[in-house]
Amino acid sequence: MENDNKAHEEPEQEWPYLDVHRHLRYWKMCIRAPLPHVYLSNESNRLALAYFIVNSVTLLTPPPSKRTPETPEPLISREDKRAMRKWVLHHQHPTGGFCGTSSLVFPLNSYDTYNFDTKTLDEPDHAGLANITSTLFALQLLALLADEEDEAAGENVFEGVNRVGTLRFLKSLQREDGSFGEALSDLPGHGRFIAGGYDMRYCYIATAIRWILRGDVKEGSPGWVEDFDTEALARYILNSQTYDRGFAGNSQDEAHAGYAYCAIAALTLLDRPLTSTSSSSSSSSSVPHKSPLLHSSIRDLPGLIHWLASRPFVYLEPPPPSADQDPDTYIYQEDDLDDPNFLLPPTPSDLLCLLSQTAEKKGHDKTHVAFNGRTNKVADTCYFWWVGGALANLGRLDSLVDREAARRFLLEKMQHRIGGFGKSPGSPPDLYHSFFGLAILGLLGDEREGGKVRGFDAGLAVPRETVGVIERARRKLIESEKGGKGVVDGGKELDAVEMGLELRGGGERPKWLGACGY
Amino acid sequence: MPPKGKAATKPKATETTTTSNPTTTNTTSQTASQPSEPTTVLERSQQRFEKTRPFEAARRQQGLSRLSKEDQKGWICDQLLHLTNRLPAASRSCLLGPKASKEIWWTVNGTNSIVRGLKHKPEPYTTWGTDRNGHDVGSYTIERFDERFRKRIALTALQVSSRVFRENVEREKRGFVDARSGREIIVTEREIDEEKVRRSKMAALKKDLYGAITGKLAESVEWEDVVPIPHEEPEGALAAITYPAEYAEAMSYLRAVMTTKEYSPRCLRLTEHIIAMNPAHYTVWLYRAANIFALDLSIPDEIEWLNEVALANLKNYQIWHHRHLLVEHYYPTISSDPDALAQFAKQERDFLIAILSEDTKNYHVWSYRSWLVGKLGMWEDEEELKSIEKMIDEDVRNNSAWSHRFVLVFSNPKYATPGKAATEKDEKVPQELVDREVKYAQNKVYLAPQNQSPWNYMRGVLVKGGQPLASVQGFVEEFVNKLGEGEEEEEVKSTHALDLLAEIYAEKKENEKADLCLRRLAEKWDKIRGGYWEWRRKCLTQSETEKAPGEQVEKAEEGIAAA
Repeated sequence: MENDNKAHEEPEQEWPYLDVHRHLRYWKMCIRAPLPHVYLSNESNRLALAYFIVNSVTLLTPPPSKRTPETPEPLISREDKRAMRKWVLHHQHPTGGFCGTSSLVFPLNSYDTYNFDTKTLDEPDHAGLANITSTLFALQLLALLADEEDEAAGENVFEGVNRVGTLRFLKSLQREDGSFGEALSDLPGHGRFIAGGYDMRYCYIATAIRWILRGDVKEGSPGWVEDFDTEALARYILNSQTYDRGFAGNSQDEAHAGYAYCAIAALTLLDRPLTSTSSSSSSSSSVPHKSPLLHSSIRDLPGLIHWLASRPFVYLEPPPPSADQDPDTYIYQEDDLDDPNFLLPPTPSDLLCLLSQTAEKKGHDKTHVAFNGRTNKVADTCYFWWVGGALANLGRLDSLVDREAARRFLLEKMQHRIGGFGKSPGSPPDLYHSFFGLAILGLLGDEREGGKVRGFDAGLAVPRETVGVIERARRKLIESEKGGKGVVDGGKELDAVEMGLELRGGGERPKWLGACGY
Repeated sequence: MPPKGKAATKPKATETTTTSNPTTTNTTSQTASQPSEPTTVLERSQQRFEKTRPFEAARRQQGLSRLSKEDQKGWICDQLLHLTNRLPAASRSCLLGPKASKEIWWTVNGTNSIVRGLKHKPEPYTTWGTDRNGHDVGSYTIERFDERFRKRIALTALQVSSRVFRENVEREKRGFVDARSGREIIVTEREIDEEKVRRSKMAALKKDLYGAITGKLAESVEWEDVVPIPHEEPEGALAAITYPAEYAEAMSYLRAVMTTKEYSPRCLRLTEHIIAMNPAHYTVWLYRAANIFALDLSIPDEIEWLNEVALANLKNYQIWHHRHLLVEHYYPTISSDPDALAQFAKQERDFLIAILSEDTKNYHVWSYRSWLVGKLGMWEDEEELKSIEKMIDEDVRNNSAWSHRFVLVFSNPKYATPGKAATEKDEKVPQELVDREVKYAQNKVYLAPQNQSPWNYMRGVLVKGGQPLASVQGFVEEFVNKLGEGEEEEEVKSTHALDLLAEIYAEKKENEKADLCLRRLAEKWDKIRGGYWEWRRKCLTQSETEKAPGEQVEKAEEGIAAA
């Protein structure tokens, strides 16, 4: 699958390498063409799909400073970016937060809940349509879609974001035990309750939204919003370490690499400085800062590292389906791999023996290292990211993982011939795994990928340039809320509110205005 | 609207001197050439037009200046006639005056012109419009056009009957009395059935004629009072998904009922309809739960339905959250009845066993199961432990089952200290339980020494029971022989044994021995984790005390409060 392409695509490169050309072709296909029907299950969370697409394209597009005359035109033009940002903002709920899909964005008048009996306006009922996950994806997308040609314009990407409303929405999603749900819902007989499972993902997302929007506004100043209970959240996370020293959605569940990443990244974000420059000089590193909270609070930190270090395993090629096929050239189809790639032999000696046999046959001892997400589970592209990201936040990605063998596995076994990465060897690419494959390459920062993939931030899961955009956009948004400068002038907005009230025919001030931050 | 051909089929010749039958052949004396038989409906109508407007036809063909003086006069009169005909009768005289009118009529009479000529010349596209494929209906053959015409008549007839039906439904609702019979109006089942048939016929005809997509809901009697809110996709959209028209329709109705907060059986059916197409839509599930609670429907019935959906969608997350909500809602109604509780617990377990046999490591199912044990208090339930043992017997590598076992044994509130973390020692856990579990894990290690699950389990049990790791040293050493005594001699049956042995030696401050274990792991037995083992070695030398290997880490004084 690789050889035919080598000739026209940078022939000096040694296999395996990241075939940027094909990946870009895959992403180009995903940008505007409607996604196939199999993605229907993601209909309620289309912003997530958009995030995978735009993040990947950004990862593969060199920043303006690194562009040469030979660099192809960016896949997403400046005009497209503007239109896409508008589309993202369209998902914002009137009282803050974002909806996951435009089919959950209701015509504005339906949010107006006039009660004919009491002749007053009730609080909006549709809070359930905004979702914590979509809110983070929307904010990340706005920053990813910044116009990089024009830094001043980049500062304005959060223009129109209801910062105060979103932060209040965020706070309303925290449960008593410190954990977070995904949405608010009205259940008859149960009142308004926080929907969503006990899921570490929501905890991570809450800390990321907080870091992106909250800033350092002092209590009493305009734009100040009461923080959620960070201590309770941290306690909840810390209590979710399991008996085998990994992390789960809570300590009663099975340890899972995705949740381990979320737990670690959440703790890191809780005490991450608001700007990269003010902390260590690590603006060029994937690790934003060495989180004192993270390192001091985890009950069994060495155990956690042990659990994470246990995720990689030697990937062994299963025998071809029939004897007459050459195992070296046979390309596996997904159906061939019932138990895709957890074929460890019973004893360590057997494994060593098998590896030396293979090495003798091939003339080299280059092994493949894959990652699983739980003990005794099979390999999956995304766990390379979840484990790698977790280790990066701990500052241990460099020293603990056999990067060479892992990178080899990713590029040789998971890279698909039409571009993108699959979930497991032989499977077709999908948005999710194609993105996480690029993300981990950005995190590893291998010099062979140098210039091809942007450096990636292990905490916020966007390219490092985008973190800078977020920092500037946050500052601008808060400044504009303080009044004086900026387009979203606080004073003017209040004038507009008064005008709107007058247009309603005066009378009582609707209760929900408070929820909107006025 | 297209001309129905009324005027054309009966053109009224005011002068009959030279005509035979004007409806069959062109008999006017003017210049129009004999047309051939029309092939399309457009052609036919154009011929009819020309037949009734001979001067206009001649002008179009030849141009006004090339017509004879006679014909020019005829054309002018024809135009004026049609102009005045369009005016109300009373104002016609205002336009021309009696003298001019007289002259026109005199001319018209003399030129054999047809007074009731067709007003407009039929044009492609604009006259009949397009069909559902975008083709000009005017380009249809006569037969095809007639067929389309018949369908439209049929549709109109159905629509009239349907309106009568709907009016009757409305009358019934308001309790109206039939004026003739004096009886209350009742819509019978038969009438409803007839209406259903009618609607599907109407939908088929609409689709055939206009290509209108009318899904099940738009056709349904039940939904006729709901105005769907179709969703609009703004410009710049990303990640659009090609989804079936049926889904779009259902979502537009969902939006409508969610806006009005309607809770009703039909809403419940609507959620089922959408879930069948997209079981991962969290909002739909939440709305379904709201309907069930508002209507006070039977939770066991819902769970039975949910079982089917869960089995058909193994990887779905929302199903389990829904089940969680249902149980939370149902629990208070049975919590005081131990038999009902036990019965419910058994039913749930039976289903969980069934679904886990299909997908043994399903994270959502296991997560639900561990929650359920706590909710229903299944700690002492022997069946629960037995079914887990059975799963471990079937696949000793099933880490999910191991994990559940740990929770089941060590979170039992009968003896576990509340609030103790999983990695923390709990003095209240009985010693015999710790011994039993260590033994259990060891027996499973013998089956497959390189299986990490029972090793992790055993270590977890020792920590929980507050026992030194060295208490299993003898067992662990069974898996390691002659370490460091030469490549040929050295035998390691499990890298996990070597790993634990390193910890045991470190615990006993036998750092050299511990270092040897770690070194052999890095050098030979587990090279892919070489970096990790080297780090562990470094930790050994850096900390003479039993300090954790993470001691290089800066201790932040603020701790959690820093957040």
